[in-house]
Amino acid sequence: MSADPGLMATLFPEDDFSLIAVVLGMPLLGAAVNGIWGKRLGKEAVRLMALTAVGVSFLAAVVTFLDLGRAVAASEHVEDGKRVLEHVRLSWTAWEWMHTNGGRSASGIPIALKFSVDALSSVMMLVITGIGFLIHLYASSYMEKDNGYARFFCYLNLFIFAMLTLVLADNLPVLFIGWEGVGLCSYLLIGFWYEKMPNATAGKKAFIANRIGDFGLICAMFLLAHYTGALDWKGIETGASSLIDTPADGRIHLWPIGGGTYQGIFQFLQPKSAFTVSAATAVSLMLLLGCTGKSAQIPLYVWLPDAMAGPTPVSALIHAATMVTAGIYLICRLSFVFVLSPFAMTVTAVIGASTALMAATIALVQNDIKKVLAYSTVSQLGFMFLGVGVGAFTAGFFHVFTHAFFKACLFLGAGSVIHAMHVRIHDDDKSQDIRNMGGLRRYMPYTYWTFAASTAAIIGLPLLSGFFSKDEILFRAYTNAETHPMAARLKQMHNEPFLPPTWLGPTLYWMGVAAATLTAFYMCRVFFMTFHGRFRGWEIGRPSLLAKIKSEHHHDEEHGDDEEHHHDEEDLKVPGYAPHESPWQMTVPLIVLATGAVFAGVFNMGPFGVTPLDHWLEPVFESALKGSIAPRAGAEHLEWPLMGGGFFAFAIGSFLAYRMYVMDKGKAEESLQGMLKRIVPAVPGVLVLVVGGVLIRSFGISGSGFAYFGDVLVVAGGSMAYFYREIGLDSLYAMTILDGTDALADTSASFDQWVVDGVLAKLTAFLVSVLGTILRAMHNGVVHVYALAMVVGVAGMGWFFVAPHADVLVVAKGGDVTITSGSGAGYLDYTYSWDQCEPDKKQWTDLFSKATSAQQRQQQQDTLTVSHMSCEAPGDKWNAVGKPDFSSQNEVTLHLDPDADDAVEVTRPVRMRSRNTFSHTFGDWTATKVIQAPRQAKLKMLEVGQN
Amino acid sequence: MIPTEHYVALSAVLFAIGGVGFLIRRNVLVALMSIEVMLNAVNIALVAFNRAATANHTGQMFSFFLIAAEAAEVAVGLAIVLSLFRVKRTVRTDEADLLKN
Repeated sequence: MSADPGLMATLFPEDDFSLIAVVLGMPLLGAAVNGIWGKRLGKEAVRLMALTAVGVSFLAAVVTFLDLGRAVAASEHVEDGKRVLEHVRLSWTAWEWMHTNGGRSASGIPIALKFSVDALSSVMMLVITGIGFLIHLYASSYMEKDNGYARFFCYLNLFIFAMLTLVLADNLPVLFIGWEGVGLCSYLLIGFWYEKMPNATAGKKAFIANRIGDFGLICAMFLLAHYTGALDWKGIETGASSLIDTPADGRIHLWPIGGGTYQGIFQFLQPKSAFTVSAATAVSLMLLLGCTGKSAQIPLYVWLPDAMAGPTPVSALIHAATMVTAGIYLICRLSFVFVLSPFAMTVTAVIGASTALMAATIALVQNDIKKVLAYSTVSQLGFMFLGVGVGAFTAGFFHVFTHAFFKACLFLGAGSVIHAMHVRIHDDDKSQDIRNMGGLRRYMPYTYWTFAASTAAIIGLPLLSGFFSKDEILFRAYTNAETHPMAARLKQMHNEPFLPPTWLGPTLYWMGVAAATLTAFYMCRVFFMTFHGRFRGWEIGRPSLLAKIKSEHHHDEEHGDDEEHHHDEEDLKVPGYAPHESPWQMTVPLIVLATGAVFAGVFNMGPFGVTPLDHWLEPVFESALKGSIAPRAGAEHLEWPLMGGGFFAFAIGSFLAYRMYVMDKGKAEESLQGMLKRIVPAVPGVLVLVVGGVLIRSFGISGSGFAYFGDVLVVAGGSMAYFYREIGLDSLYAMTILDGTDALADTSASFDQWVVDGVLAKLTAFLVSVLGTILRAMHNGVVHVYALAMVVGVAGMGWFFVAPHADVLVVAKGGDVTITSGSGAGYLDYTYSWDQCEPDKKQWTDLFSKATSAQQRQQQQDTLTVSHMSCEAPGDKWNAVGKPDFSSQNEVTLHLDPDADDAVEVTRPVRMRSRNTFSHTFGDWTATKVIQAPRQAKLKMLEVGQN
Repeated sequence: MIPTEHYVALSAVLFAIGGVGFLIRRNVLVALMSIEVMLNAVNIALVAFNRAATANHTGQMFSFFLIAAEAAEVAVGLAIVLSLFRVKRTVRTDEADLLKN
């Protein structure tokens, strides 16, 4: 295709690269067809649709990749004597979606349904569609006997679509759609056999754990929109500097929350100086929370091991090769944001190293073959986090790439083994237990050799893919030094930036080496226990156990869909069927993936200086790495020595496993497991204690003004470690978060029951029924009564229109008070007469002089004031204002002095009388109203007679 | 020429007779007749007042519309009365209280 760039460029220009629509659209089409018509189409058609959809998508992805390669090659030019590549993006806008307000730019933030392919996403795209196709092929045979065949492939295709949306998105909101989409598909596929309770629960667990992460991602999105004024990659990159370069009040106040002050009894909460972080740190940590959720890192890794409840191809595709790498992808994608916050980078690296080590320790004591691989995945994802956390984005991403091959291969191999084990035993747990396996090498050679190849890759056998990617990460972890890209600017603002301490690099390196050693051990353990020695599976179908198995067998029959071989009773007799190799649809993907696992390392052979991937990704990470990440002095001499660590990790781990499980035939297994089970749970606890404490201490020292915060967290980490050792992280979550939620739910439920239902709802219903009873009595069904009511109503309405009204509108403005008649404007010949009440102060003074005491006088004064307001005080009389006696003048204006001391001057009773045409007809019929004009704020009691 | 007031007075008297008749008589047919009387009182008033307006015949046209409406109303009303009689075997309104409560 790239042979004719002219044609490609005409068909698909760089800014309207609609081939992306094919890549994205085919899996969506497949999902729609299989989802809507799947049941009627039959298995053959479903398989054809699903495989074609992903296959065509893969072909389109290859064409896209080649064209991107051509465009990148064309952009190569010489700059400062070096050959550099441009950051080329092929983009395609489906449609303009919306504009949001906000951001620093006045024009708002455009959000388009836009997709783009660059060096980074093109590799992801190939991995997703390529490995996705192989796994579809595998699943087409693996799921052969399942009733939900069409449903399964609908979900699987939908997953491919969502994952492609995630990696091809050109802005965060579209990425978020894919992010949620893969979460949804993961949920659907973990709970694929939803009739089994544990599977449904595992699905929910994955969903909820991911929601916590998504909360972080959404917050990060809001912050990015606010600070950088953009949500697309280019815009964020352009505006990234404003995440740091803000005035002091632009920093985010963590404590006191939102930058307030605590007063009164809460004063003790007020720190000496506010605890703030830069926007870059806040954004990065929030993104990191999202990534730990999706990529199963501490503290949100708990869902991934449970996710193994789904069908094995799903574990391979979603929970090993593609979806869980979304977190790494996002960090790589927004690397230019992360490097602005060395603190967040350090946290990422520490989380990665801790997860790698902790998950590896847990994997040591698992007996379920899929559980071992699940923890291994968590551990390997930890390595990737470590890589991107130390700024080795290419190395971290390279591990994503190689891991996709060998872990997919391992999972599919495990699926093949489970498939074979189902010949012997029908129980899910037993058929996945490596203690029931052994010696399978004889029965399934393809599975054996491919599993061997990918095991060798993951444990870092020199020159295989895992060796190169893992060693690159360890090497970078040891040697990379971070500097703050805007250190000078921050210093200017009297803000010492946080930088990781120098000893952190070596510490991370040794943690990684330890994790790699454990990886070598537990992977070899699984390998030897599954394929070597004698086949222990004969015993699980023994006649003495027949009765027991029979009952279980019948129990399982209704929901055991995962097997090809349906057992009849005689199958369970000794010797029964032997395990056998899987059909070609399953072995071919294994062989392809194993080939990838062996040879994928050639794309980035750091020690030999052959690094095409590094060169390919250079433009993507250029802006991130410039001025922030650099190797320490003398790093180049360390490459080979540091590789020794990785090599010895492989050698020691695999030798120990070989000795224990092959030479000693696993005799020490019991005692070793017993010992490990005592030690292992303490490891993560100690990790939390040490790492958390040290990190926060060093952060405190760097001048946050919150030094004692570190001590608090050391204590918190210690207690957390204790609890973990005692009960485990799952139970810790259950005790705190789940029980807390339950308690809240119970409280809400009883509130609902007693207050909402009991009082509000029942009271309302009671009132309504009482009112209804009264109204019902009036509704007696006799038409005359209704007619009478109508007559009365009409008469009342007629009266209202006929009678004269005296309503006024009073508007006071300064001292001028305008009183306007509100009725009869132009109808019924309304006429008005206006009077105001004049007090006779002389009479009042006389009255006061007769008072015998001050109290009596006061009383009199109050009485007078009140009666004057209706012009009934002694001596009051009405004097006409304006035209006398019923004219059409419907408005008078009085001048009152609002500042006068004398209440009579401030308020004045005004009388308005009105007549209408019916007054003329039926005699002198007048409406009268007395207005106190106006009600001023300065109204005082009358003070007459005081002079 | 008879002054307009006389027509209006006749109209008022007829309207009152109709209204009172509707309110106090219990026979549905009589009630319908009372309604007719009231409507015709209105017709008389409309035509009488139209004499004052020499330029147009709005009042007279209006009374034609009213006559048409009356005819329709009587047709529907009698149908209702017939149905009522079938159900309740009565044409007395105080016995026909199917909508009670």
